Amino acid sequence: MVAEPKLAELIDFGKRAVKVAVGRGAEEAEAFLSIVSGTSIDIERGQIVRSIKRMDQGLGVRTVYGKAVGFSYINTLTIKNIEEAAARAFRAARASRPDKNWLKFPKPKRYGETRGTYDKRIVGVSSDELVETAAVMLGAVEAYDKRVLAVDGGVGASVFHTVVVNSHGVEAFDMGTAVGCSMETIARDGADVTPACFELNAERVYDLDPEAVGTEAARQAVSSLKAKKIESGVFPVIFTQAAFRSLIYYTLINAVKADYVQRERSALKDKIGEKVASDLVTVYDDGLLEGGLLTSKFDGEGVPCQKTLVIDKGVLKNFLYDNYTANKSGAESTGNASRTGVAPYASTPVLEASNFTFKRGNRTPEELVAEVEEGLLVYGVQGAHSSNAESGEFSVVATPVWKIEGGNVAYAVQGVMLTGVVFDVLRNVSALGSNVRKLGQLVAPWIRVENVRAVGRK
Amino acid sequence: MKDTLTKSVDYGRSLGAEYVEVRAQHLFKTLLTTKDGRVEGAKEGIEGGAGVRVLANGAWGFVSLGKLDSKLLTEAAGEAVRLAKAASLRVKKPVKLADVKAVEDRVVATPRKSPQDVSMEEKIDNALAMDKTIFGYDSRIRSCTISYLDVTGTNYFVNSDGACIEQDKLYVWSRILASAREASIYASAREEIGSTSGYEVFDTETPEKVGTMVAKRVVEQLKAKTPKGGSFPAVIGPNVVGVFMHEAMGHLAEADLTLSGSVLYDKLGKQIASDVVTVYDDGTVEGAFGSFKYDDEGVRTQKTALIENGTLTGLMHNRETACKLNMDPTGNARAEDFRFEPIIRMRNTYLAAGDNTFEELIEDIDFGYYLKSFRGGQANLDGTFQVGIQEAYEIVKGQLGDTVRSASISGNTLETLRKVDGVGRDFELWSGRCGKGQIAFICDGGPHIRVGEVIIGGGA
Repeated sequence: MVAEPKLAELIDFGKRAVKVAVGRGAEEAEAFLSIVSGTSIDIERGQIVRSIKRMDQGLGVRTVYGKAVGFSYINTLTIKNIEEAAARAFRAARASRPDKNWLKFPKPKRYGETRGTYDKRIVGVSSDELVETAAVMLGAVEAYDKRVLAVDGGVGASVFHTVVVNSHGVEAFDMGTAVGCSMETIARDGADVTPACFELNAERVYDLDPEAVGTEAARQAVSSLKAKKIESGVFPVIFTQAAFRSLIYYTLINAVKADYVQRERSALKDKIGEKVASDLVTVYDDGLLEGGLLTSKFDGEGVPCQKTLVIDKGVLKNFLYDNYTANKSGAESTGNASRTGVAPYASTPVLEASNFTFKRGNRTPEELVAEVEEGLLVYGVQGAHSSNAESGEFSVVATPVWKIEGGNVAYAVQGVMLTGVVFDVLRNVSALGSNVRKLGQLVAPWIRVENVRAVGRK
Repeated sequence: MKDTLTKSVDYGRSLGAEYVEVRAQHLFKTLLTTKDGRVEGAKEGIEGGAGVRVLANGAWGFVSLGKLDSKLLTEAAGEAVRLAKAASLRVKKPVKLADVKAVEDRVVATPRKSPQDVSMEEKIDNALAMDKTIFGYDSRIRSCTISYLDVTGTNYFVNSDGACIEQDKLYVWSRILASAREASIYASAREEIGSTSGYEVFDTETPEKVGTMVAKRVVEQLKAKTPKGGSFPAVIGPNVVGVFMHEAMGHLAEADLTLSGSVLYDKLGKQIASDVVTVYDDGTVEGAFGSFKYDDEGVRTQKTALIENGTLTGLMHNRETACKLNMDPTGNARAEDFRFEPIIRMRNTYLAAGDNTFEELIEDIDFGYYLKSFRGGQANLDGTFQVGIQEAYEIVKGQLGDTVRSASISGNTLETLRKVDGVGRDFELWSGRCGKGQIAFICDGGPHIRVGEVIIGGGA
């Protein structure tokens, strides 16, 4: 798919940037380089319509002068551009303001082993092969039921290389691969139109099941037909991974970031050692998880990634730190500095969770459902980004969602609102499934929560 | 530049592509973030690159390159044709494009204050002044994050129909987030500023004005109560009307999503809203954050009517969907940058003003809510929407009452549009950013409106 970049050359580019910045008078400097290339196939309205190739590379330089931080990036890697970027980053630091809490960039440390994060078969995959994968997924949707439309979907493969160099001797290099396929469906039967249903499969090694993705996306859509309105009430709710991820992304995950804690934006401030969740809840942030979607040797500042215990049997144990917040609190960075976005080199590090992992339970999904007399099975929530990050209060629309009656999934429900506080949700977890899967930052099984308030439309 | 792009276009055509376009960009960005008076980073970036899109055998191929190099661009055209042909093996209904007049034009930005001429120091001072206003407003304010971004540069567009457009880019944007705490009550508020005019936007949106507005909003929530859940009549302010028009209505009228089975699928020409509702998506509003002259398919922007007096009269198109529905392209094809292919995006989306005063809208409501500003919103193709509300008030016997926090509204778009029974004579546009796999800068807004019934959720 792409020629392997010359590792030595990338590290030399980084060293050059650091050297130029320090030569200009910067007290510290750091260079981050990323090269990302990918191929993807798009499906729209029932057919493969587009094939895409992207290649993007660049370098970002951070410099420190008088405890003030400046940053500059470029995406054309020539010696001249790199030197100019270093000089501009230094000028930006001089234009900025000192930060009394700035201590220093990280020192070199030994990196842990990562497994299942790079697969040569993905590097070598052709666009024709990805078209074939997309066709298999599409075929599975069409074969399931004529009333289903494959609204949107695709298959993608990418390869990325990352380098961090700093003036304290950090010289880090990592590479990874990713592959995934996804399918969004609706079903239409006369005037009855379902909400969008969604399924995906993302991996770091070339091991996809496009047929299962297509079939499941189609199954959800057909099962969403003939949705009924329900009355408001307080129910046990089973959240799938997709629904639970949306729910905690803006609430719990932010609340355990040291940045939010230090700035009094977290309801978990001062709660280390306290019970914040049900005994059943144990959570790790595991940057080294085998085959984890966010697994890497080091974070966006060259700090080793690690497995951090966040909640142990309901008790809050640790917050997540990057270099800056760790220095501010006198703690150690947990390796959670992330360079985000489509062009990682263009961003300064942001404190982010890695593989946010809920320990599995022992129930099959069927058992989770069978134990519910009257409740809801929620496959997605919409509007989670309007949650109150500080308080954990949320008010979201569950969709698609099914009513459980007498231990069986009875019928689809027209979007109900779920309202509450995420910390009450954690305390009310009554069972976890054994069906762990990876979905973005979340690694978790289905999770059942008691006493969730649902506002119906009847 | 024109020669380089034309060469790439010609090469793609010579390989048998029906259509080829090349977009190239040079961009200069300034970014900064302040957190509680601390400058987290003063940042600058320079990026350049190109995207080559071809239509061959009825399917699309797209290659993006983080480089501007004549040889690589020509190779990219060849690669794009190969990709398109690979995808086309499975195409059942070949993609076709609506005809448009090929334009040659040069669009020059004419800011009073170009962000390039304003020093990093001054931009930092401006953000810190806003931070100071916010913290100075009330001691219960605990955090304030201010992000700033400006983008300047030039877009180049050449296609195989003969279009050749050079268009300056200019965006100035800032987002302010503040939080406050009192005992166990946490509150937060946000605001965005955006302009395509120039840095002069801060002459009117001064740090003091914006800072005070955000600070007041967050502090008010500390004494607020949570709403009752259920269906209530509501008066909705321009800021929330905007996000409703964008999220709940606008996305459904993006022709790609309409064709994908949104609830507007078979509604063109039909009454879908009460007759006081008229909605536009308008790329021509001077200086507004969602305005531009040509879209990323080289089509001239316009003011597109979506709903006129309650009837669905238009959709937002690119050349592909326009051809499919036998309508005219509307200039809604936008790409975030050279890394992305153009897709159908909104511009400035708003509900047109009516003739009621605010007093007339609230006077008949015995008990309901006044929803003044939003925190975020989302909608589904079936018309189910949710909008989070950061600032709301009870309406009791025709008067504004207590402050309400952490509310949200939901419902079905079409049911809600039919229940609009009053439209104000005021009008405001608000800047924002919209995500649809890519980020687009947009505005939305309208006047105050009254809705007979919406579902209010929120409150623990």
